[in-house]
Parts: sequence; C-alpha cells; structure tokens
Amino acid sequence: MTQAATFATTTAVDVQQVRKVYQRDSQMIPVLEGINLKVPEGEFVALMGPSGSGKTTLLNLIAGIDRPTSGNIFVAGTNLAELSEAQLARWRSRNVGFIFQFYNLIPVLSGLENVELPLLLTSLSKRERRERALTALKVVGLADRASHYPRQLSGGQEQRVAIARAIVTDPKVLVADEPTGDLDAKSAEEILALMETLNREFKKTIVMVTHDPRAARKAHTEKHLDKGVLTS
Amino acid sequence: MKFLPYILKHLRRNWIRTTSTVLAMAICIFLICTLRTFIEAVNYNLKSANASRLVSRNAVSLVFNLPIAYKQRIENVQGVKSVFALNWFGGVYQDFKNFFPNMAVEAEPFLGMYPEYILPEDQRQAWLQDMRGCIVGRKTMERFGWKIGDTFQLESFIPPYRIGKPFEFVIRGVYDSDEKRFPGTDTTAMYFHWKYLNESTNRRTGVGTYTILINDPRQAGEVSKRIDAVFENSDSQTHTETEAAFRASFISMAGNLALLLNGIGTAVAFTILLVTANTMSMAVRERRNEIAVLKTLGFSSALVMTLILAEALALGVLGGAVGIFFSQGMIKALPSLPFIGDAVRGFPDLGLSPQVAGLGFGVALFLGLAAGFIPAFLAYRARITEMLRQV
Repeated sequence: MTQAATFATTTAVDVQQVRKVYQRDSQMIPVLEGINLKVPEGEFVALMGPSGSGKTTLLNLIAGIDRPTSGNIFVAGTNLAELSEAQLARWRSRNVGFIFQFYNLIPVLSGLENVELPLLLTSLSKRERRERALTALKVVGLADRASHYPRQLSGGQEQRVAIARAIVTDPKVLVADEPTGDLDAKSAEEILALMETLNREFKKTIVMVTHDPRAARKAHTEKHLDKGVLTS
Repeated sequence: MKFLPYILKHLRRNWIRTTSTVLAMAICIFLICTLRTFIEAVNYNLKSANASRLVSRNAVSLVFNLPIAYKQRIENVQGVKSVFALNWFGGVYQDFKNFFPNMAVEAEPFLGMYPEYILPEDQRQAWLQDMRGCIVGRKTMERFGWKIGDTFQLESFIPPYRIGKPFEFVIRGVYDSDEKRFPGTDTTAMYFHWKYLNESTNRRTGVGTYTILINDPRQAGEVSKRIDAVFENSDSQTHTETEAAFRASFISMAGNLALLLNGIGTAVAFTILLVTANTMSMAVRERRNEIAVLKTLGFSSALVMTLILAEALALGVLGGAVGIFFSQGMIKALPSLPFIGDAVRGFPDLGLSPQVAGLGFGVALFLGLAAGFIPAFLAYRARITEMLRQV
C-alpha cells in the first residue's frame, strides 16, 4: 500500500521482475523468469504463447490467487506482495473479476444466485444484491435466464453468466483464462464481443490468456510468453 | 444468515447422500436418547429410596429367604425403630405381559414406614381388616380399569409360592403419591398381607427381606453392621444395606446396565462419526473446484471453512431433531411393546426428559462438527491454483 502513491495512476497492472518457481518433490521448476509487464488502465491485453509457457501462472499472479517467488506485482495501485492471505482475499473481492475457461458456475445455484455470490461478501442488503446481480445479467444479455440453473444453459450462456459474476462487484481489472477455449466459434465471437464492450464502454482493464489468434486480435495489445519469458 | 440458502442448497444437491447421513445420525441419537432414558428411569427409581430405611437380606443371595424368627432379633438391635417382612411374590395376572410388581408385606409397619404412599384412612382400615385384601397403585388400577372391591387372581412363578391354585385378592385401597415431595415413587405396585402368603404356603416361605426403619439415618452404616453381627454365626447370615444400595444392587444383578447401555451408545456414536466424516469428505472432495472458485471470488479461507462446518452442523441439527423425535415416540410406545414392555413398565413416568433430549442434540451437533472439521480444515489450507489444477 505504501508504494501506491508512487504508482502511476494510469497503470492498472505493473509486474516487476517477477519470478515464479514451483517445487515438485526436491525438483525446482522455474515457470516465469524476470517478467516485466505494464498494462495501462482501460487496456485490453492478450497473453499468448504455447502450452507450458507460463501464461496462466502470470494471470494467476496478476489476479492475486498465487504469489510470485520474487518480484512485485502492483494491481490497481496495490502491491499484492504486501497483503496477507485474508487481505488478499478481500482485495480480490473488490478489485478483480476472474473469468475461467470452464465457467466454473456453482451448479446448485441459479444464474442470478451465481452472479450474486461475490456480493455476499459485501454489506449490501438482499434486495440491493439482487438488483445488482440482475443489472450485471442485463449487461451480458441474460436477464431473462436469471432463474435458470447452469445445466439449463448453453456453454456460451454459462460463460456470459460467469462474466456477469466477474463484473458484478465493478472491479477495475478483469482477468480471463482462455474464456473462449470451451466454446464453439459463434459463442466465442459473442463472448469476445461482450468483452470488447466491457473494455470500451465500461472502461475495464482486461488481461486475457488465449491460444486463439482470432481472440487475440480483439485485444489492443498482444504479449507473447515462451518458456517463462516475455518475448514481445 | 445470508449464507444459509447457499448451505441448504448444497445439502439438497445429493439428497440421497444427505438423507442417508441424516438418518444414520438420527438412528445414533435415537439410540442414545432411548438408552439414556432407560438409565435415567433406573436411577430415578433409586431416588425414592429413604435414607432412614435399611434392607436386610440373605448374605448368600436374594434367592434364599431368611427365617421368620429374625424379625424380633432385628427389632432388638440398638438404633432400630421398626421392622417388617417383605416377600417378592412374582405373581402373574392372566399373562406375563400384564406384569406389575406385587409383594407380600406386613401391612401396619409397612404403611408406617412408607409415608410416600398416600392411602385414605377408610381404605387403610379396610385393608388391615381383610386378610385377602390388597392395595394397588393408581397407575395399575387405571391400566386394568379396576375399582375398589374388585377381585383378581395372581399365580406366582416362584416355586415355594405355587400352591396348586392362584391366590385371590380383593382390592381394598388405591394408593397414590406426591411426586413433588417423593420423586420416583412407584405407583404401579400391589401389596398384600404377608400373613396371607405365609399361611397359604403352610408357613414354609420364610422372609425375602426385612425392611428396617432406623432412628438416625446418619447411623445407617453402624446399625447395618450391628444387625449383620447378630447373625454372623447363624446358618443364614444377613447382608444389610441402605434401601438405595439394595435397589442399586438389585438392578445390577442384570450386569452393569449403565455401562453396557452407555457402551452401546458410544460405539454407535463413533461409527456414525466415521460415516458422517466420510460423507463430508466426499462432499468436499467433489467440490474442490467450487471451493477454488469461492476463494478466487474473495471468500477467505476462514469463511470457506465456516461454510463447510455449517453444512456439517446442519446435518447434525437435522439428524438430532429426527433422532429425538423418533426417540420420544419410541419411549412412549415402549410400555405397550411385547417383552420390552414388561421390562420398562415398572419404571414410573418413563419419558424423554429435556436433559436427555439436550444431551442427544448436543451429541448430534458434536458429531456434525467433528465430522466436518477435517474436510473443512483441508479446504481452509488448500491453495486455489492447486485445486483448480486438479479439476
């Protein structure tokens, strides 16, 4: 937090000399090596690279669900390394929306309840939570499916509910891990269009991992990772 | 509270598993409550014992009677106020399922020694004047729909009391009790004249036990020793103890009942703990992905752990409530069941007490929490990236 004052306000994500090493038994496996990345506010960045290049690991670090072995990551003005586990959880609930490849909706909850889930961590009343969740569903064009359960939705619709869940707390940054990886071409196109809208109209900073060049073309910037190193 | 719908929806997710777990826990709580009530009933029976009363029996076994001549010698022991002879008759009314306690007593000292039995004066006089007369407790009167003046027959299953025909009795009085002043007083028994038994059996019965009223309850130990010392060199030595100790030893003839019943309850509870823990582990393992999602959304590890514990606790609450409900029904139905009914009918006011229900519910909550703790703790410690990777 102390470095927030020196943090450039126009930079949403600032990754500084980040290294990540996994330990498997006695073996040390380096995944990211000296990563430096700046993502300005309102930017739409596509992270590309072959499997095992460290894209998802970098995304997880930016989303605050994993910690680097060394280096610093500033997201929305906060140095994530300075936060405890509990603080990091609270920070995630307010500042970052995560979109998974396989949607990861809770099957026993309706679309509306899934979207409402992050709002349970706020002090909002039940009515306010419902209103906000419904608004988020309207943004993704699924207000009429609010009472449907995930099993009653198509893949594309599930992903749109997942996006609604990611934006319902109005986070500054959205991170998406291959959001179109499990969708047919038409649904993928719709999801990408939705993400473009979120970026353009709602000024969300988006960092998206993808293998798909068509998806990457929707982004403003493409970054390539190879063997844990940013190549471009 | 806002998380309650989330918890309940997860319980409904696999309703067969949830139902079977709740039923398993309910059976455990049902057993604990029912067995505990049985033990409480036994203990309650001991409450009515008076500290001023001693019971003297044959030192070898309750099966052997004592000589009639002992009465006078006991009366002469220092500290003894009065004595009466009592024989457990073991009479059967029509059928074994109609069992109620029935005993031959020396009426006058018996009534003098038991202020807990409330008997109107006219009925007392009527009983004292009729050799075939008897007094019957209110509950047994109501059970068989008897009224004063009715006659009935009992046939004993104890060989010395079998005289080739049933004993015939006339109901001369109905005794009751003040439950507040004398808790635990049995109003199911029937008492008749010891002399009637003695004469009908050609004076060969002897005395089952002598009930002795002493001057000072603090001297109970001393007086007991004095009485036993009197018969130390006799063929039939006595064993004298307080009425409470006598009843406790009488009950313990069936083995250490409380230990046995508590042992059963504990074994069942432990088994159910393992079953519930397994269920919770499976439920959490299936939801690793969801736990990772919750944590990603900003749910703290402590909150995730709390949600899982709350789910396990909800299983406990449901299982406890169902178990207590069925236990209450079973305890009410017990006296009317064949065989078991005979055993429990002698216990006055058999019912599920709030304390026992509370104990059962507490055990259910503990089982739920204990079963949920390890999976909840594992979920607490699990890292998001590891859980997402394993999906």
